[in-house]
Amino acid sequence: MKNLRLKAARAGMDLSQEDLAKLCGVSRQTISAIEKGDYNPTINLCIAICKALNKTLDELFWE
Amino acid sequence: MNGKGAGFVIGLIVGIILVMVLIKMANKDRRIKTEYDERQEKIRGKAYKYAFYTMIYYQVILIGLSFAELSLPIDRYVLECFGIFLSCTVLGGYCVWHDVYWGLNNDHRRYYIVFGVCLFLNLIPVIVPAIKGEFAGNGLSGAPMLNLMVIFMMVVLLAELGIKHLIDKKTEDGED
Repeated sequence: MKNLRLKAARAGMDLSQEDLAKLCGVSRQTISAIEKGDYNPTINLCIAICKALNKTLDELFWE
Repeated sequence: MNGKGAGFVIGLIVGIILVMVLIKMANKDRRIKTEYDERQEKIRGKAYKYAFYTMIYYQVILIGLSFAELSLPIDRYVLECFGIFLSCTVLGGYCVWHDVYWGLNNDHRRYYIVFGVCLFLNLIPVIVPAIKGEFAGNGLSGAPMLNLMVIFMMVVLLAELGIKHLIDKKTEDGED
């Protein structure tokens, strides 16, 4: 399932996938895969993404 | 050890040292080890599995061939090395196709230069004797088979990288 909230939060901060990837220490393709719903990140990566986007886990990853 | 064996060992040692130096230069943080993220590590695990299966199946074929006692126009070590290169191609090919070939600290441009240098170094022992006409009459045993295998592997991977790059360009950033 696509993670549109992550995509919206990233776009809201005017960040590209590459920018967010650098902030989280992962590859651009990994961010793309998470947004597309092709990859379920570990809790550590979820936290890193939340910190980078100033959001909570609930806001980005809880259904 | 005969001349051919000594040449093989020296070539291998020089090759390993050269590749280590080139990788150190090509990585952004000047480290030999390439860093991958969690998704990349996971997919690379699958790639190693397929490469392992390739090696196993290839070895089974080789065992079958030795039982059949066929006389092939290729040295045994060349057949063994082909299995290594084949499984490396499977590993690299799978990684390229699933976007996990490049690590986090790889500088793509520098790596392409390294590929170019490696390709050139492996083309020299193929092109020079071909121009001099030293292959004629020697058959496969006279050809630099290891260099040909490296060239085959690099051409396959570079072609796949090129195709993947074209596909990725169409779907870059977000809209994929």
